[in-house]
Amino acid sequence: MPNTNIETHTVVETENTDQGVLASLGLNGQLFTFQLINFAVVAVIIWFLILKPLTKKLAEREKMIDESIENSKKVQENLTKAERDYQKKIDDAKAAAGQILDNAAADGKKTGEQLKVQARKEIENLVDQAKRNIQIEEKEMVVKLKSETASLIVAALEKILEEKVDEKKDKQLIESAIKKLTP
Amino acid sequence: MHIPPLGAETLFYIAGIPITNTIINVWLAILIFLVLGIFISRNAKLRPGRLQNAAEYFLEILLGYFDQVTGDRKRTLRFLPLVGSVFFFILLSNWLGLLPGTGSITYNHEFLLRPANTDLNLTVAMALVAVLSSHLFGLFTVGIFTHLNKFIQIGTFVKSLTKGPVAIFTAIVEMGVGLIEIVSEMAKVLSLSLRLFGNIFAGEVLMTVMASLVGLLVPAPFMLLELLVGIIQAAVFTMLTLVYLTVLTEEPHGEEAH
Repeated sequence: MPNTNIETHTVVETENTDQGVLASLGLNGQLFTFQLINFAVVAVIIWFLILKPLTKKLAEREKMIDESIENSKKVQENLTKAERDYQKKIDDAKAAAGQILDNAAADGKKTGEQLKVQARKEIENLVDQAKRNIQIEEKEMVVKLKSETASLIVAALEKILEEKVDEKKDKQLIESAIKKLTP
Repeated sequence: MHIPPLGAETLFYIAGIPITNTIINVWLAILIFLVLGIFISRNAKLRPGRLQNAAEYFLEILLGYFDQVTGDRKRTLRFLPLVGSVFFFILLSNWLGLLPGTGSITYNHEFLLRPANTDLNLTVAMALVAVLSSHLFGLFTVGIFTHLNKFIQIGTFVKSLTKGPVAIFTAIVEMGVGLIEIVSEMAKVLSLSLRLFGNIFAGEVLMTVMASLVGLLVPAPFMLLELLVGIIQAAVFTMLTLVYLTVLTEEPHGEEAH
């Protein structure tokens, strides 16, 4: 059987040689066209069903990654800016708080001084008032003492003299005694 | 021992069109890509699953290599529909040739499966598409006249007429070089197609011979070698296509002052 095959092919190849070099190589216009169409079909299938969707997805993914990197850079920049703003606000707040504390301390000191002065004034007023009251009471006591002394002197004189002086003489005696008592 | 002939074997006809065993292999590749493609395109998400993750991993590696040639990811993505398709198709076709059944299952006394790239019709078709695409990209990128002036340097010759005999002589030489460039463009198609065809066909012959001599275990190292050849040839074809695309879409390095 193998010998038959070799013989068959030898016959075919001899015929092909007769038809020319191209035919001996198996080149045939009809088959060439058919294989060209086959290759075109393969190329269309490979491109439109395999390579194009894959390259499209690759490009989309690349774009997405680029955008993500760009966005992350923006987010990083915003974060840094926000941190800077935050730090600035914290510093401002600290400065403001310090200022408020200083002001409060100054106000406290001032108020304390004012209260001290006010208290001193009030104490002085109280002392003055007390002194005035004492003077008034002293005067009242002097008047009362004079009155009591006069009555006492009259009673003592009446007792000593055992005489009843008239009202006019009595009054003279009292007044003279008072005058003597007045410092 | 059945040594595969240079031409693919016709299995049957559909509406008068011969269906060869390499075409069956291409259809198998189309089916695999279709199923894989439908699954990937329907399930492609920003958060990838296992399959998408693996596919993206290989694609990223491939794009990295392509970037080394083009020098720019934007250009790589511009050429990706062509070079990506070429790479994955050649790779899968080459590796499909290693599937059990290739070179063993027969239909109408011919092998049902044969690696697609052992058909010169397919490799020439792909090479032609690659080279023509590089010219089309070149035309649309640098402009028709600039692109054509790389091959037919009439513009340079006309400009040299006012610059003296040395400039005219240089322009004539450059016109000759331009004609050589045209030949080299044809050579690109030949070299791309024949290299791929030759390597894969040689591998298939080698595998057939080895499998015929000792069917068990001995072909295994050669199969591993064919895995490597499969990816290397896919890479070579793709990288060369990418180089052609890159070179032809670059502006010429300024016209020499004559």
